[in-house]
Amino acid sequence: MTTSATILLVDDEPAIQRAVGPLLRSRGYDVTVAGTGAEALRLVAERPPDLIVLDLGLPDLEGTEVCRRVRLGSAVPIVVLSARGAEEDKVQALDLGADDYVTKPFGPEELLARIRVALRRRPSTDAADAGTHTFGTLAIDYDRRRVIRDGEEIRLTPKELELLSLLARNHDRVLTSRAILKAIWGANAVEQPEHLWTLMAQLRKKIEADPANPRYLVSEPWVGYRFVSGSA
Amino acid sequence: MSSDSRVAAAGLVSVGALTWLMASVLHVANPATVSTAFLLVVLVVAAVSTLRAAIVTSIAAVLAFNFFFLPPVGTFDIADSQNWVALGAFLVVSLVASNLSAVARARTAEAVARREEQARLFDLSRDVLVLPDDRDALTALARAVARRFDLEFVAVALPLEAGWDLYQAGAVAIDLDRRELSTALAAAQTTLEFDAAARAYSGQRETTVGDRVVRLVPLRAGTRPIGLLAASGRVLEPGTLDALAGVVAIAIERASLLDERKAAEITKRSEELKTTLLASIGHDLRTPLTAIRVAAANLQDEAFSAADRHEQGELIHAEVERLARLFQNLMDMARIDAGGVAHESRRAFPSEIVAAARDQVDRALSRHRVSVVVEPDLPVRLDPRLTASALARVLENAAQYAPEGTAIEVTAAVTGDGLTIAVRDHGPGIAAEDLPHLFERFYRGSSSRGRASGSGMGLWIARGFLSAQNGRVWVENATDGGARVTMTVPLADEPADTGAGA
Repeated sequence: MTTSATILLVDDEPAIQRAVGPLLRSRGYDVTVAGTGAEALRLVAERPPDLIVLDLGLPDLEGTEVCRRVRLGSAVPIVVLSARGAEEDKVQALDLGADDYVTKPFGPEELLARIRVALRRRPSTDAADAGTHTFGTLAIDYDRRRVIRDGEEIRLTPKELELLSLLARNHDRVLTSRAILKAIWGANAVEQPEHLWTLMAQLRKKIEADPANPRYLVSEPWVGYRFVSGSA
Repeated sequence: MSSDSRVAAAGLVSVGALTWLMASVLHVANPATVSTAFLLVVLVVAAVSTLRAAIVTSIAAVLAFNFFFLPPVGTFDIADSQNWVALGAFLVVSLVASNLSAVARARTAEAVARREEQARLFDLSRDVLVLPDDRDALTALARAVARRFDLEFVAVALPLEAGWDLYQAGAVAIDLDRRELSTALAAAQTTLEFDAAARAYSGQRETTVGDRVVRLVPLRAGTRPIGLLAASGRVLEPGTLDALAGVVAIAIERASLLDERKAAEITKRSEELKTTLLASIGHDLRTPLTAIRVAAANLQDEAFSAADRHEQGELIHAEVERLARLFQNLMDMARIDAGGVAHESRRAFPSEIVAAARDQVDRALSRHRVSVVVEPDLPVRLDPRLTASALARVLENAAQYAPEGTAIEVTAAVTGDGLTIAVRDHGPGIAAEDLPHLFERFYRGSSSRGRASGSGMGLWIARGFLSAQNGRVWVENATDGGARVTMTVPLADEPADTGAGA
């Protein structure tokens, strides 16, 4: 209850405003509401919020366009609200700089968890790979490039380690397949998801107790992958 | 025939007149001059008429020549060899001239007939272009053939998997023997329409049904026979029949092309509709469900004050109502789609109908000032339930698009068209590009697209309910701003037993 982050809620539906606004306020966030994309962009420029909750179906501007314009001048975290089945929009918004998404109809805890994760981080990808990160029984030592599970070291290939580090540093946040492909194989590989599928399968075999039901390396169907820390 | 005998009579009269002219007036005695004059008469008769008329005239001329001009004048003296020469000459001239003229006249008649048939074919091909593109197209085609070619019976016969599809027209009905048709079609598979060697249309067949001769002509798409044309009545040249069958075959091809295109279009339309339906319902369900889910959790949240919880409760109510309305819309839509809107007329007061409609959407109307004028409020006979539901949709629509606090005026009157109800709002009016589409399913005004309110179903349902009663609804922009939706419902007749029980 000590958070006092400011959140800009952008949704044209009065019902969503009336339900989600009070929800966020009850968690101590300072909430401003915008009903259109134009209004949202104006408010972002006037009083930069700490986070934006953005509905993708706005009357005046495409939600993805709002994303793009916000990103031109700001690194503020964006959580998009989207419809199930509208995966394309979701991926597009994420590729345009949105940090995460929640699918309507969502429950309050789902939204709150995404907001917490998005507010907590923005470790830039090239930040110091220092220290050791522990998630449950899994420990990743970025300095020594070692991964230990249940006290035993796991041997990973350089690419596997790269993939694991990328996801773990962005833990609890969805990364699109395109973003992962670009980060690991370079811009030319973004249309070749099979690289990622193969590598992910190998990595899961080594990291996960049950590779078929991953606990850490979770797929976000049609969108990408998320490293679940279990603490978000 | 009668024209022949007339010419023959004219020939005889000419021979008589000529005889009188030369014998009594001119007193020509030279047999050579006379015989030349008679020869001319014979020639003329032969040229304009038949051989028979010419021969009758020849004999009359020979007799007149013999009797009046050949010495001994006043007697028939056949013994003289000159007579035989004259008779022979007259007859030969008759033969030759009438043959020549008969051939020429036959050619002319044929050319005229050809031109006529060509004109008929031309007219028919024009008819084909304007054939309706529905299932009546082929019957209309048969009708066009019968009319253009003055036939008593025409049938377009198309083979089915088993049996025949027949499209008939004409003054008489003939029950064609299906086996005969199958035989003719089978024959058409193996023979060509026009046998160039025999110069004959070998594909054509004749069959007799009762006392009528029916000609069967194969219809070909390319060289493949696709059916038969049956014709009875006036006898047509085989060549004409062949050309006629060609036009009919093209028309059938065209009709089936149109059919296919139409079927493809219908499929496409229904696919589009499904997509729109899913998108629309998806949106309309998702928002209230999200709001209810979050608001319900908020209600359980200790951190919420009593006032906040009350507000969240209200929200849940409103959203559940929205879902209920969506559900009602879907049910109504399905009912209209299934053609299952039964209407039941009874006596009702217009004011009652308006009140019922307002009641259905009072929540939606709560932020507008609604005024109602019903003049005169006389009982009318119609389906009050459907009418009120349609009006409710129109009112709801007005409330959605006109700003809060503005006035909505409802006027109802009984006019010549029946009950007329107009709903006038003071909103932004309707964009010109939206006007023609307003009553289309899932159409949302261009300025309001993506807005919370409209589902794009209301006005479509209103129209569906009204047309179930043969009513109409239309929209226009009022000259001084705002939109006016007008609906009319024709009044049902009073039941015959009215008053009997009262």
